[in-house]
Amino acid sequence: MSSHAMESNDLTKATDPPANPPSIRPPVRGAAGDPALDSYSKAIGTLGFSPIGLLATLMGLVFLLTMVKDESWVRILTSAIMYGALAMAFDFTSGYIGIVNFGFAAFMGLGAYVTGCLSFHLGWSPWAGLVPATLAAAILGLLLGLMTIRLGGIFAACMTWFVAMAMLSVSSNWVTMTRGATGLSFPLLLKSADNFPYLVIMVALALFSYVALSLLVRTKAGLAFQAIGQDQEAAAISGIDSNYYKVLNFTISCAFAGFIGWFYAHYVGVLTPPVLHTKATVEIMVISYIGGRGSLWGGLLAALIIVPSMEYVKSIQALSDIMELRLLLYGLLMILVMIYYPGGLSELLKTIFNKLGLHKWISAAK
Amino acid sequence: MEVLGQVWDFFATSMMRGGMYSLMAVGLALVFGVMNIANFAHGEFYMLGAFFGYFILSATSKLGLPAFLPPIICIAGAGLCVALVAGIIERTSFRALRKRSKGQWLMNTFLLTLGISIILQNGSRIVWGGRYRGVTRMWKGDFLNSLLDYSLPPDRLIAFLIAVLSIGGFVLFLNKTTTGRAIRAVSQDEVGASLVGINLGFIHTLVFSLSGLLAGIAGASLLSVTPASSFMGTMPLYKSWFVLILVGMGSIGGSIVGGLILGFLETFATTYLSVYLGSGSSEFVCLAVIITILLIKPNGIFGKSVKSAVE
Repeated sequence: MSSHAMESNDLTKATDPPANPPSIRPPVRGAAGDPALDSYSKAIGTLGFSPIGLLATLMGLVFLLTMVKDESWVRILTSAIMYGALAMAFDFTSGYIGIVNFGFAAFMGLGAYVTGCLSFHLGWSPWAGLVPATLAAAILGLLLGLMTIRLGGIFAACMTWFVAMAMLSVSSNWVTMTRGATGLSFPLLLKSADNFPYLVIMVALALFSYVALSLLVRTKAGLAFQAIGQDQEAAAISGIDSNYYKVLNFTISCAFAGFIGWFYAHYVGVLTPPVLHTKATVEIMVISYIGGRGSLWGGLLAALIIVPSMEYVKSIQALSDIMELRLLLYGLLMILVMIYYPGGLSELLKTIFNKLGLHKWISAAK
Repeated sequence: MEVLGQVWDFFATSMMRGGMYSLMAVGLALVFGVMNIANFAHGEFYMLGAFFGYFILSATSKLGLPAFLPPIICIAGAGLCVALVAGIIERTSFRALRKRSKGQWLMNTFLLTLGISIILQNGSRIVWGGRYRGVTRMWKGDFLNSLLDYSLPPDRLIAFLIAVLSIGGFVLFLNKTTTGRAIRAVSQDEVGASLVGINLGFIHTLVFSLSGLLAGIAGASLLSVTPASSFMGTMPLYKSWFVLILVGMGSIGGSIVGGLILGFLETFATTYLSVYLGSGSSEFVCLAVIITILLIKPNGIFGKSVKSAVE
């Protein structure tokens, strides 16, 4: 984070020259050591934003809330931000403690089904389902975490996947509860048919998720997450109870999945088992990894770029029949990013800003 | 006779399923053990095997060959085609990743194979469309039925025999030939193996192709049970990973036993427990079993340490 620049000034300069040479440059505005900027960025940093991040967020908000009028664009952007929020919650686990939750969509689907069943069978209001949906996903995440997270690595990925497959099977076979493939339909969040309020709500949820997650990353627990993700054995030697922190992290991430699932359920109004399918997990994963590991905002940015451009591909007349092309592009992007630029979009932006000598602008100060 | 028929049916179905799970899991364990790759595109090799098998079978059955020949050509040809595809994939993607990868190799391969799996699924869907392509019967002739006095479709029994033969041949290859020994050497110690003059690049490609070959054989020989379609690979992939986690990662002998265990477990659950648990019963039972086993033995039934792979 902000200590990055200081370290590179004295300690790592000899071994790592091209990374950050700020001490050579004169103190320009926006570069390291500018006291005015430091106090600003500290104030912003308490909310988890970097200066440039806040600027981009505000500009994005103004654009979203004033310029976007077209109904279809409103829907596309809503789903893009939803994917972005899911990718952030996914990244909270995969980017920080290095565990891939390969059943992520099932946790989102669980939240969605809990609120859906509550309003379908018991007639609860859509808003009342928020807490049960989040709690259900969190509790399942806690149980699964307690059982499998200590295994680590590919074991944990497979176990979350197996549980997700079992949940998919439950949702398609327990017809009295979930109505199976026919679909469970229930009231929407709002009475009006207008799409725009949903966009506003989704933006608020995404902002809340981002601020909450990035503040969590800045706590002592967040430090422990990063330590575990970088080197679990070294973390254990420094006295970090890695199982405790991993389960904690996993539970939080699942809770956010359920939280977004609640919105999804009442935004779409119909639930069918494919919501929980591995394909949905893969889409979230691709967005999160293209966004960059361990950045949180990378996933949101990637979703805002990828989802609308996929919609554009779909809208091209000649290609409109080939739905699979969209997924094929996802796969290709994934492979290219994995091989040639594993840091993803956030790493790319960080490199560009570092080259410009603006590294203070892109890291949130403590 | 009724009870005997049921027992026989139970065993035959279990063995057929188990044999195929073993065949899939062995390839997966080989790739994991030798190359340390978590292959999530393994199910797509199964899918490609089924597609290639279908095309080869429909082409050869028009030629007027003796009845037993087209299925043999179909299964062998499908296996070889998939091995070729797997080899190309290894050369183009994993080799590039190996050159660039710094840390987290296993997780990177996991994500890379996911990308490959997405491409193969959707690419095959674009090329071959959404139609299911299957055959009602692969092996003509009723010699087995008259032999056993029981109306079991010969396809299943022969599929089991093919699984046994392929795995047997593969184990012999691994243990008796120089190349097989080289593969085992690489799985034990890559640096040591390259010091004694083993061509690592060749072994990696060969191993990946071999796993593709086994999966392709599985896909083609079950053509009459599961017709070829683009998204058919998820289930076999799921099952073979299940076997690997159950017995411990990367153990080839363990994967063979694990496949049979899973076959029996699933058939037991669907035959006797679906009355109580509904049609998803096999999934619950499998999940319950694997969680219990992982709680008792976190490294799987036969698991020692992950790196003692191909023994």
